[in-house]
Amino acid sequence: MTVSRPTWLVAAAVIIFAGLAAIGVYRPAHAAAPPSVIKIGTLYASSGTFAVASQGQYQGLQYWASLVNKDGGVYVKAFNKKIPVKIIAYDDQSSTTTATTLYNQLITQDKVDVLIADFGSVLTSVAIPLAAEHHMLLIDPTGSGANFFTKKTDYLADVSIPSSAVWPVPLAQFILAQKLKRVAILYDSNDFDASQAETLKSVLGQGGVTPVYYNGVPTTESNYAVLLHTIAATHPDAVLEFGYAPNDIAFLRDLTSSGLHFNMTFTIFPGQLISLITKNVGAKALAYTYTYPTPPLVRYPHVTTGMNTAEFVQAFTAANKVAPNFLNAAGYNNGLIVGEMLARAPQFTQLDFHSALMAMSGSTTTLLGAFKINENGAQLGELLPVAQIVPEGTANKFVVVYPQDKATGKAVYPAPQQ
Amino acid sequence: MNETLPPEPNRLRTIVPSALTLAAIALAFIVAPHLYGNRSLLFSMMTFVALAQGLNLLYGFTGYLPFGYVGFFGTGAYATSLLVLHTHVPAIACVALGGICTVIVAIILGPLLRLAGAYFAIASLAASQILYNIFSNQDLASVTGGPYGLKIDQVYNPTASYFTMLAIALLATGLAAHFRFSRFGMALRAMNQDPTSASMAGIDVVRQRLVVWLISAGVAGLAGGAYAWNLSVFYPDAVFTLQISVFAIVFALFGGVGTVLGPVIGAVVLYAIYNTVGISAPQYFEFIYGLLIVVLVLFLPNGLMSLLTRRGVRVI
Amino acid sequence: MSLLEYALIGGILYGIFFALVGIGLNLIFGVMRMINIAHGQFVLLGGYGAFLLSARLGLNPIFGVLLAIAGAIVVGLPLYYAVVPRLQASRDPEMLSFILFFGIAQMIDAILVAVFGADQRSLPQDALGSGNLSALGQSFPDAWWVAVAMSLLVTAALYLYFTRTRLGFATRAIIANRDEALATGIDVQRVSALSFVIGLALAGIAGVFVPYLLGSISPDIGNELTTTSFAVIIIGSLGNPLGTIIGGLVFGIGTLFMQTFLPSWSNMVPYALLVIIVLLRPAGLLGRAVRVT
Repeated sequence: MTVSRPTWLVAAAVIIFAGLAAIGVYRPAHAAAPPSVIKIGTLYASSGTFAVASQGQYQGLQYWASLVNKDGGVYVKAFNKKIPVKIIAYDDQSSTTTATTLYNQLITQDKVDVLIADFGSVLTSVAIPLAAEHHMLLIDPTGSGANFFTKKTDYLADVSIPSSAVWPVPLAQFILAQKLKRVAILYDSNDFDASQAETLKSVLGQGGVTPVYYNGVPTTESNYAVLLHTIAATHPDAVLEFGYAPNDIAFLRDLTSSGLHFNMTFTIFPGQLISLITKNVGAKALAYTYTYPTPPLVRYPHVTTGMNTAEFVQAFTAANKVAPNFLNAAGYNNGLIVGEMLARAPQFTQLDFHSALMAMSGSTTTLLGAFKINENGAQLGELLPVAQIVPEGTANKFVVVYPQDKATGKAVYPAPQQ
Repeated sequence: MNETLPPEPNRLRTIVPSALTLAAIALAFIVAPHLYGNRSLLFSMMTFVALAQGLNLLYGFTGYLPFGYVGFFGTGAYATSLLVLHTHVPAIACVALGGICTVIVAIILGPLLRLAGAYFAIASLAASQILYNIFSNQDLASVTGGPYGLKIDQVYNPTASYFTMLAIALLATGLAAHFRFSRFGMALRAMNQDPTSASMAGIDVVRQRLVVWLISAGVAGLAGGAYAWNLSVFYPDAVFTLQISVFAIVFALFGGVGTVLGPVIGAVVLYAIYNTVGISAPQYFEFIYGLLIVVLVLFLPNGLMSLLTRRGVRVI
Repeated sequence: MSLLEYALIGGILYGIFFALVGIGLNLIFGVMRMINIAHGQFVLLGGYGAFLLSARLGLNPIFGVLLAIAGAIVVGLPLYYAVVPRLQASRDPEMLSFILFFGIAQMIDAILVAVFGADQRSLPQDALGSGNLSALGQSFPDAWWVAVAMSLLVTAALYLYFTRTRLGFATRAIIANRDEALATGIDVQRVSALSFVIGLALAGIAGVFVPYLLGSISPDIGNELTTTSFAVIIIGSLGNPLGTIIGGLVFGIGTLFMQTFLPSWSNMVPYALLVIIVLLRPAGLLGRAVRVT
């Protein structure tokens, strides 16, 4: 018995269309009158490699939205009134393929007014051409890849993290100022870490210092025993490890158990996720190591918009029962920048949003520092200083050691044997 | 010894349903963007149709399951992108050339076909990891972009790349139809079921297998090239992630391998479900999807198409 | 050249540990011809079990070994009888198992994220010993030696099981030729179920040590553990659980040597070795030919 094949095909086609239609063919009326709500679209990762950081960032944004809505909404100059904000967010599970379709969903189906990318360069990268194609400004919170900012664009702005091309400059200058000659650099093979390593190497090179060890390892590297011994064999004055949180954890643990000692050790994530790192490696392993302290560990008392560091820490802790970390602050900063942008843009268009951001550049300071973007969308402000983690009783505290104008103490070099 | 193989089936039973299938796919994906604006989702769906079909060519007709199928996808993506960056050849030609480069890589990896079953599957996984390591390595960054990925947004063209992918999906489906109904395909199936007798009947088992392997790799390479063109800014992980292999396998098996419609239906339905659940109920999403797959394997192990063939419906 | 010696000894230790990680997968494949692609997730379950004991009950994580065995029985037996008989009745159990266990891997990942969150978790550094032990002048943390000891213990236990017990004989018979074993009256289902549970228990036991050798665990590292395990067992010999030690040694020494000289390629080592070995000796370094023409 055979059933007519075209019937099956038509049935299949109908099912396909019905399914797609069910996913969401949402068409709001085009906003010529002020919208009743400002739709902010973003993605977060509930699982996968970027989950921890992404959720922190998302929480910060949600916190900002709750504050603003309690106040009646964000002031939108284009309509001269306060309008409440609504966050539309989807879960990309740290996958770029999923992220691509979800960004497109936000743009074409949900027709969001403001588009904010997920955490990090990887999950931001896929949004860039999409945003440009649909003439939407992409607010890039923490995607620092120097690759993104190579040409002039109206559709990209890095708002909460310095571009990888400038980020390591303070560290390089600190090393040169300390007159350290033998520098070992170990970095993960991904855009975030590799571009920092390259920048560092070139700035050190300009100061006459060539690294005695300069090697990349896979991003999933989890065993540093042999690497540490190879590095130790070069007798370095300073060892710099550029990786993500799991790498830093493995590195610091392996360093402690190896019995080796370096005069200066630097890793990135203690400055961003101090409680996670301390929980996993112990306070003793962190003692006398260096890192980039990030807000709220770096204080900005004078801000032009939003709460300053102290106020933010207090308010966030009260609302969420846990102290904020850098990602929370970055998420909150995203909201602040968007709010300021809406308060300045004379018309409710993406191009006007971008112009507002350009106008804010150089004259806006938030809890993350000075907001300074260039015409390629790169963030040149919000630079992070260098700090040393110093024991205080059974716990640790951060002592900013460079640059001079932000320093709260002097570096203890060489690090004492423990 | 042609007497050992049955004559080719009636034209009406082969060409007409195949042509209708191709027409339906083409129609669906040409019309869909006008009904549903999320082109990225439709594009990804077509990508998975192409990949599931390409995988079906190898697994459905020779029984070899390439866990590392994504290796070819990524190779195509990189070959295409590097050609775009270093030559002035138009993008669509770069996609085609990317497919050819992938076939060359597949020739190099040809010896893997000597292995059987699980050995082959895992060795192909290893091969894809090796390719990933080569393309993403810091030491080769000056050639391949390494960890920084590639940017070919100067040729960014969502419409052209969309239709290119559609053409690739149609090509893959057409090839599946050819495999299904031609003498070549029947020789393959004979080879699959009983290699010893097949080789005694004069079928060059090794050569046929290699040809299918190359075709299957070529499809993945073309799909990778078109995907890179559409995405235009990507890191190595985006085109070498295991998730792509796994999805292709799951979609093909869910639909029903060895058929023409199976991988298409499997990819469309499962990917649509993946996105619907992902958008509306993300917190339970991974769990639901996993459960769904477990239930499917336990109760529908021969794929969706088996629901029809069980009832005696002839499915192409 | 103390760097080379360090890499060699370290590679041996690291490799023996990874043999422990892979051995359960090998056993399950050998006995049931099933590709347990959720293997890494079961390893993680063992690790999280040890974490719970340590962080919530203050026990030494080594008790995680007992928890892993108990957990394997509680989870493994029902799982076996729920899925394996149906799978084996199907057209292509080997490949369908791939898909099935992928589904299970997704489910376990989702549960881990829901229960523990995506954060990295570690075990107390000093719980397995706070000093270092040396061999041939190269010193390594106590935790490494404990992991190696466990791995050797497990391999020895498995050897004794295979050579001294009736169930072990039956298991070997099934590994060699399932149909013949069936024909000689062995209760294949029962022995397979037992092997499945043992395989999961081995994975869980390895998981207790993973946080020590890999720094921390988080739900997203499961898949990488699985693919590395595959590489290790195929290098050694797929279907020959005792051969996993050889695979581990080759993997460990190769990887750590690569870390000394060309670190950015160190991840490629297991896969390159696998492809080379499998093309030269298709059944692995130790295996007999398992393939058809």
